[in-house]
Amino acid sequence: MKKAMLTSLMVILALLVLLPFLWTFSTSLKPLNEVNKFPPEWTSVNMSLKSYSDMFFYLPFSTYTLNSLIVASSSTILTLLIGSLAAFAFSRFQFAGKNVFLLIFLLSQMLPGASVIIPLFQLLQKVGLYDTHVGLILVHTAFLLPFVIWLLYGFFLAIPRDVEDAALIDGCSRMQALRKVILPLALPGMGATALFAFLGSWNEFFFALLLTSSDSTKTIPVGIGLFVGEYLDVWNQMAAAAVLFSLPPLILFMFTRKTFVKGLVAGAYR
Amino acid sequence: MKKSLPYLLLVPALLFTVFVLVYPLVQNLINSVCDVSMIKGANGWVGLHNYERIFNDTLFWHSFRNTAIYALVGTLLALLVGLGFALLLNMKLGRISSIASFLYMIPWVISPVVAGFAWKWILNDRFGIINYWLASAGIVKLGTSWLGDPGTALFCVMLARIWQFYPFAMVMFLAGLQTIPQEQYEAAAVDGATMVRRFFYITLPNLKSVSSVLLVLGVIWSFNDFNMVFVMTRGGPMNSSMVLPVLVRELSFVHFDLGRGSALSIVIFALLVSLSYLYLKLIAGKESA
Repeated sequence: MKKAMLTSLMVILALLVLLPFLWTFSTSLKPLNEVNKFPPEWTSVNMSLKSYSDMFFYLPFSTYTLNSLIVASSSTILTLLIGSLAAFAFSRFQFAGKNVFLLIFLLSQMLPGASVIIPLFQLLQKVGLYDTHVGLILVHTAFLLPFVIWLLYGFFLAIPRDVEDAALIDGCSRMQALRKVILPLALPGMGATALFAFLGSWNEFFFALLLTSSDSTKTIPVGIGLFVGEYLDVWNQMAAAAVLFSLPPLILFMFTRKTFVKGLVAGAYR
Repeated sequence: MKKSLPYLLLVPALLFTVFVLVYPLVQNLINSVCDVSMIKGANGWVGLHNYERIFNDTLFWHSFRNTAIYALVGTLLALLVGLGFALLLNMKLGRISSIASFLYMIPWVISPVVAGFAWKWILNDRFGIINYWLASAGIVKLGTSWLGDPGTALFCVMLARIWQFYPFAMVMFLAGLQTIPQEQYEAAAVDGATMVRRFFYITLPNLKSVSSVLLVLGVIWSFNDFNMVFVMTRGGPMNSSMVLPVLVRELSFVHFDLGRGSALSIVIFALLVSLSYLYLKLIAGKESA
């Protein structure tokens, strides 16, 4: 009895929480004349996937998708490369100033984008990287790095020193030990970290909005963010874009939820 | 060689930090005491004139107030919601709880831009489902424009923000709940404590440190939040929902006044440093406790 009540409460809450998405999903399936219909209805006989192909045809979403993929995957790779070097140093060496460096990375995580955007804009313009993929990748990498370092640091610490010492005794150099022994063991953790980084860049809006200007570099969130309000007449195509854009994060999250949650909890305390 | 290796490993990461932290701060300080326009270029030293203009601007104080409300009230409410959900999930109903926790976390995983879009759409004055329901129930009249009304715009955005932030609080609270020693509850049950008393005397005190960390983190993140406000209202109507990060964009990229934008950036940075200091104190306290 109690269980049934709690279960129905959970279901009702889930529907309430997901209402904005469910409504958006319903909108994405409707033809335009039914989107602008009153009273609004959840379903209709004319539902189809037409908006999902129209959005690529009428709005420049195929370019945006390509841009998002380029920027997010490059930022992920770059962040992981640089981040694992730093995390390796933090987890395996004692050196002067270690805590200061750790603190710097912790604090730069709190940094508001709004308080650095102007100089970054000026700098990218000066060196010709404004409105380019490379410029955005560098900025995303820089902003993802602190969190990635903290995450990897935790994962690396969990790998027993003995394994590495054994490798060193067997004649590996430090870098070989990193490459051949630690990296394979750290692989699951690095996978989760890569997921964070990818999602961080994929969803990022502020820098992508202010550091790009042409359709050939804009990412999907910029497209959606700018079109809201301006293309009022195609709510169904915008809804389709929103749904499609949400699929990669949702699918990735579904398969890595446990690690994701663990990282979330650990990240806040460090 | 062996001594310098850790430093060498840190060099690439530090270069990036300089790129987004040190350089922008220095450049912002320089900008803020100069007349820098995106159109007319740099026109030299103006002293504290840009700061003066900001502090004499009612829009700044209005945005500051909005940002504070948005960050503080929004975070507090999100924590309450998150705690409620965490308590519900902690009832341990097996598979159902697991599925529910997945569904409840979705707002946190989705891009803020998509979230802003979805909220804007359900709040739409003519075709939004919320308006239709409320009007059918006779609560408001049809065609109420929640985002178009200066009196309600900020609160609608805040609602969306709460919806986006509560999953984080939920996960953290859930982790906190699971560390509470079961013996404490058993002892209380032996003493005949009611469920309400157990909640106030055992559960809440045990969640104190996680709540304070969440509060500070939430305030910092919401204070920095640009996305939700920009996507839903752009700070409007008539600046009624303007917050500081959106105002930076407005000054610098709409009015092209980089000097004034930089001065505002420095002000925001100073506010954030104070908040971060508080955060550091809190987590340091947690470690020693």
